Amino acid sequence: MYFLEKAKLPQLFELLKRDYEIYGPVQDEVSGEVIFDRVPESSGFDLEAPIPYNPPKFVLFPHFEEILKYHYERQTKRVAIERINLLQPKVLLGLRSCDLTGILCLDRFFLGQEFVDEVYLEHRKKLFIISNTCVRPFPQCFCVCTDSGPSAREGFDLNLTFTGPGYLVEVGSKKGQKLVEELVLPEAGPEASRLKKRIIDDSVLSFDRVALENKAWISRATNRLTTGFVRSEVWEYIGHQCFECGACAFVCPTCSCFNIEDVNFRTGDTYRVRTWDSCSFEGYTKMAGDHNPRKPVEDRRNKRFFCKLSYSQSKKYLRPGCVGCGRCARVCPGDIGLPNVVTYIRREITGD
Amino acid sequence: MPYYRGICNFCGTGCGHLLRVEDNRVRGVYPLPGHPLSRGRLCVRGWHIHELLQTEDRIITCRVKEKNSWKEVKLEEAIGYLAEKLSRYSGWEVGFLGSPRSSNEDNYLFGKFARAVMKSNLLSLTSDAGQEESTLVLLEGTGWPAALGSLERLRQADYILVVGGDLTRQNPIVASEIHYAARVGARLVTISPRETQMARLSRLHLRPRPGTTRLLLQALSRMLLDEGLIEEDYLRNHTKNHGDFLAAIAAVEPEQIEVATGIELRVLREEARRLSEARSAYAFYPTGIQSLDRNTIAAIFNLFLLAGKVGKPGCGINPVTGISNLLGSYDMGLSPLLLPGYSPISDEASLQRLEKLWGCRLNLEPGKSVSESLAQNTRMRALLVVDHDEEIIRNLKKIENLELVVYFGAYENPFARLADVVFPLTTYAEADGTYTNSERRVQLNEKKVEPSGEAQPLWQIMTLLAGAMGHRWNYSSAAEVMAEISQVVPQYSGITYDKLRIRPGLKWPCDQDHPEGTDCLLIEELSRPLKFVLESEPVQTREVLKAEEGYPFKLVVGRSNYFWHQNSIMKKTFIPRREYNALLLLYPGGFVEISSEDARKLNLREKQSVRILATNAELRLAVRISDDVCPGMLYVPYFVEEMIPEFLHRQVSDLEKNEEFYLPVRLEKVE
Repeated sequence: MYFLEKAKLPQLFELLKRDYEIYGPVQDEVSGEVIFDRVPESSGFDLEAPIPYNPPKFVLFPHFEEILKYHYERQTKRVAIERINLLQPKVLLGLRSCDLTGILCLDRFFLGQEFVDEVYLEHRKKLFIISNTCVRPFPQCFCVCTDSGPSAREGFDLNLTFTGPGYLVEVGSKKGQKLVEELVLPEAGPEASRLKKRIIDDSVLSFDRVALENKAWISRATNRLTTGFVRSEVWEYIGHQCFECGACAFVCPTCSCFNIEDVNFRTGDTYRVRTWDSCSFEGYTKMAGDHNPRKPVEDRRNKRFFCKLSYSQSKKYLRPGCVGCGRCARVCPGDIGLPNVVTYIRREITGD
Repeated sequence: MPYYRGICNFCGTGCGHLLRVEDNRVRGVYPLPGHPLSRGRLCVRGWHIHELLQTEDRIITCRVKEKNSWKEVKLEEAIGYLAEKLSRYSGWEVGFLGSPRSSNEDNYLFGKFARAVMKSNLLSLTSDAGQEESTLVLLEGTGWPAALGSLERLRQADYILVVGGDLTRQNPIVASEIHYAARVGARLVTISPRETQMARLSRLHLRPRPGTTRLLLQALSRMLLDEGLIEEDYLRNHTKNHGDFLAAIAAVEPEQIEVATGIELRVLREEARRLSEARSAYAFYPTGIQSLDRNTIAAIFNLFLLAGKVGKPGCGINPVTGISNLLGSYDMGLSPLLLPGYSPISDEASLQRLEKLWGCRLNLEPGKSVSESLAQNTRMRALLVVDHDEEIIRNLKKIENLELVVYFGAYENPFARLADVVFPLTTYAEADGTYTNSERRVQLNEKKVEPSGEAQPLWQIMTLLAGAMGHRWNYSSAAEVMAEISQVVPQYSGITYDKLRIRPGLKWPCDQDHPEGTDCLLIEELSRPLKFVLESEPVQTREVLKAEEGYPFKLVVGRSNYFWHQNSIMKKTFIPRREYNALLLLYPGGFVEISSEDARKLNLREKQSVRILATNAELRLAVRISDDVCPGMLYVPYFVEEMIPEFLHRQVSDLEKNEEFYLPVRLEKVE
């Protein structure tokens, strides 16, 4: 483990800027809220800022992305296909552990199955990840219930843990090692591991005091969802409150569903576009011949939570599909974010 | 590609959002946390506004029609051409159809051009169903023409009454706030013949038979009276004509109410008591896409006034506008009856004040709306239209017969094809502008991308056009237009761009006494007593009961989430369009909803073809069995242009403006 003095952060920033576009937590001037966004200057970001309102998903898997371009020549009936490849290397600086876990889930979806998604792979290869331990949780957090925090265990190039005078730096990759060497960081000393453990323990202990917005009894909900014992009335109660906006999927660090469209441009070129999609939409599961296996809204809701928490689905991600960031609870117009749904399932179990 | 702060431009909620911009294109959207109303939420439309903003289906050059073919011209040429044409017409010959999606600055100069340059009062808006009625009721009752309450404080409410429409579809984030308030304890009551999602989220759904909502509201007032739940002091001290109102209410016959509305008096008595006991009570009704008629709005107002819930903190009647700047457009005086700032055109002092401010003579005669002018075959020979395409369906032939049609728009649409001159407008992301949401919140939306092609903001085109017609206007930015608005519109007198830049909007009236805007209407601040709005027609209990012989069903129309604005806008997106198509593919010829009880009686199957017969027309649709409608009622979603034959278009302005309106019809199986 290495040590990075706080005063040396701008130096780290400048070094990264040489090779990468930098993304990190940025505070909005008017609302004061934190957004994960492009950081042009080292003065523009704050590593200790609260967890950003948006996950960094958009950097790897944009809301709207052209993935292919083709041109059809009417006369010759020939199609010229062009691969779009303009991606800049990017660094995610100050990523929270829940969001890093989200990226690992996306990796398993886009890269870990039979077909590898080339576009995502391109993004992923050019990514440098510097995660940041949450030395204290935020009100909406429940990563301790989903095994995704407060400190990252894998997937980072560098992992930072704030100690006061500076950061403990763990190296997770060769790229990370190279950067540490370039910065000439000193070793953190023999006490570092124990210090880090104490910081994490303190953080976990403070969940009871600080993280009061959401409580999620994930393990029992997983059991219940997997065995299908949740009564249909509970899903109907949840379904009635769904506004079908898609927000839960759009803000989820692990949601990977997308839609593909071909867009004709005035120039005669056609772009194949990939956009975010959500299982809360009726058109999402609609099939040819008017069949829709998940037509009623409660069936679509049920699908989402099955995807996030059931054991069979978790086997695919090698972990639950929920990373405990609490964002879905904040953006949901119907107030049926995942923690509330787990609460309704828990009530059913306990009969409260 | 950073995220930039902005305001969603779809409905009248005015949610805060962040637009992600890359290479001068909007590439994504995210809800803005910390926005005082939307608090980091967006609806399905808001989540896809970036798809609309980067559509290739834009108008990007000026064009002039010559012998039925288009010629692309430079802006100066188009301005010169139009100025020359317009100079041949008098004020009574040119109509102006504004858009409730345009910014305040755009609308203000559009209205000023109509009144000051062309001396025309044929000035109106589209998609403003119910807004005028709502404005007039609230003006008469309180002197305040818009939302009386605060949405920020809604979560502390004890009682919320929602009348008509389906706010979960029209203004989902307002509905979400209502839902949150209900989750923390407010009693939420919906009055609607249809079982909407709003109704499902409510503690109580009062489901009057179609056409009896107004009667139901009057019955509630009557129950307040009968149960002695009226605060005499409040009425004596703050209202003017309560005697007249009480006399009118006494004429409502309780025994008839049950029969007509189908709702038990016992239930109404209980609701009246709960409303009266609430310390904080709000009423909501939609305007814009679909609305209520004047009498029903008046009945809501009167009920709340009688219960003593007007002019107190934590209370209010809130019309919810369906389109982004519908309220702002009225504030700017895009109305044949009202000048900027809501003074009636018939008021000489107001007109003189405006003449002085604008430095020119104005036309004194009250005007007509464009749709009235079209319907009544007036002298109107030319029409200037902004960002719009609904009227085209209803008045296609009449518009085709006009000598000159000018279209200002950002997106290609059917109206543009009818026009003789077309001007490309910027989208809301391509220019600075302010938009006023349902709760009177004036919000600044700053330019984020450079305009496409030759697109210009409307205020700039109007300035050039006025210049070409001999009126020197010196506006070089939207902020300068706002500076003038703040002199002309009293409610905006304290609003400046500098103030708006660092605030999440200011709620009018924002003036010397309220430099930070005004949260809600307070009796103490009123210069006049409150007034019951006496309904123009007497209560008609018996009339409602009369069955239409041979036409046993009541047909009503409505809209939903994806089917918004005739879909001219939604069709340019991907995901909302797919959702729209999902339904369209299921019922390619349109559908009519019928209750399972009626379907059983008539032996109808799902998707079976039926004929709907009215006195003078018929319509063929597929059956969709749904218990969202009650027995005796039919529901046709009027939003899918392709589905609706002409016969409904003819009725549609009535059907839209007035949820109480229904068409008596008969249903026949097509064998």
